[in-house]
Amino acid sequence: MPTLKAIRRRIASVKSTQQITRAMKLVAAARLRRAQEALFNARPYSESLARVADSVLAAERESLAPAEDAKNAALLVVVSSDRGLCGSYNVNLLKLAEETARRAERDGLEPRFFVIGRKALDNLQHAGAKIAGERINNPRLASVALARDIAAHMLSAYRLGEVREASLIYMQFRSALSQRPTYERLLPVAAPEEPRAEQDGAHEAAGAEPEGAAQAVDYLIEPSRERLVPVVLRASVEAAVFHALLEAEASEQGARMAAMDSATNNASEMIERLTLEMNRARQAQITKELMDIVGGAEALRG
Amino acid sequence: MAETFALKVVTPTGIVFEGEAEQVTAVGRLGEFGILAEHINFITSLVPGLLEIKTAGGDARTWVVSGGFAEVRDGAVTILADSAEEPSALDLSRLDAEMAEAERRISEASFYSDEYESAEHDMLLALAHKQASELKSTSR
Repeated sequence: MPTLKAIRRRIASVKSTQQITRAMKLVAAARLRRAQEALFNARPYSESLARVADSVLAAERESLAPAEDAKNAALLVVVSSDRGLCGSYNVNLLKLAEETARRAERDGLEPRFFVIGRKALDNLQHAGAKIAGERINNPRLASVALARDIAAHMLSAYRLGEVREASLIYMQFRSALSQRPTYERLLPVAAPEEPRAEQDGAHEAAGAEPEGAAQAVDYLIEPSRERLVPVVLRASVEAAVFHALLEAEASEQGARMAAMDSATNNASEMIERLTLEMNRARQAQITKELMDIVGGAEALRG
Repeated sequence: MAETFALKVVTPTGIVFEGEAEQVTAVGRLGEFGILAEHINFITSLVPGLLEIKTAGGDARTWVVSGGFAEVRDGAVTILADSAEEPSALDLSRLDAEMAEAERRISEASFYSDEYESAEHDMLLALAHKQASELKSTSR
């Protein structure tokens, strides 16, 4: 049985750990709120842009197909976190990244990773994956500039024929307690009626419902459809990347909040158990001392 | 009173304006254009420049936008701006340096390079900032 002093020291140490996890939970909650707000604020722009993109790009699918002589490679942009202590966030993300890479290989495409965040970079490098680029130590709330930078990389790799397709892998925010690894192909552009985002595990595009009604609007397009296509394409890739960064940020903070919450609870449980043990040890010590005194007194009398 | 239409000005970071307006003026790829009520369905790309609106109440508002799109659909107008800065938030001390930098880059870039396009963009943005700053000093 550990000594009373050792148990006391354990309790003090668990308590200070608990203080840290509790603080981290509060910080994550505050950041989550901010990330959710940013996600909410980005929605009107994304929705309007999607409408514009559908109308402008719909008739241009052929010119947006990958170059004839494009290399048999696929660019996978993986959005992970720079920091740990967020539960299974990065683990789940990397599982989908690996699955996607295997699927690309089956289709005869060499997977190339473009990695956001230190966690996925460390892991993929260790696994010997081909890294086409990286952005680590990113600002906490996604900036439009970072999204633009990533989008430019995807577009130029696609345009130059270095890859046949480019997609995003990120954690989609569903609630503070649930984040879902998501695969989203951005290039080549999907037909408007074909859902772009696929959920984890449902890769074989589920029965696409033709939805022609939304496409009926006829626009006057200036300067011309041809000249607007690259501009719209760039903007919609940028918006998709920005959106993914915001989803990832909210997911990360949600995952961290949940992880720190359970760590705090575990610490409480452990303190309770240790306190019980400490009391028992103290009781044993007192009993032992009493026995000694009584034993001594008996000896004297005899 | 002039007829009004529903106007929305949005950026990736949020809604900048939402309400009824009488008129919108913006700078498109083919130059400055205005939109009034009952405009035909329309899409165009924007270059850096001033976005001016006249609200239903007759107030005028201005932003510097750095690019984006304008869409008219069934009479409702949406301005999708890459960013929209309030003229009052401009950093006046940086205007000249910004302009000089843009001029230097545009003179060095080859006309056919991507760098030229980006330099031209910055140049137009610097011009728009300048316009906005002049507007600010005359109207207030």
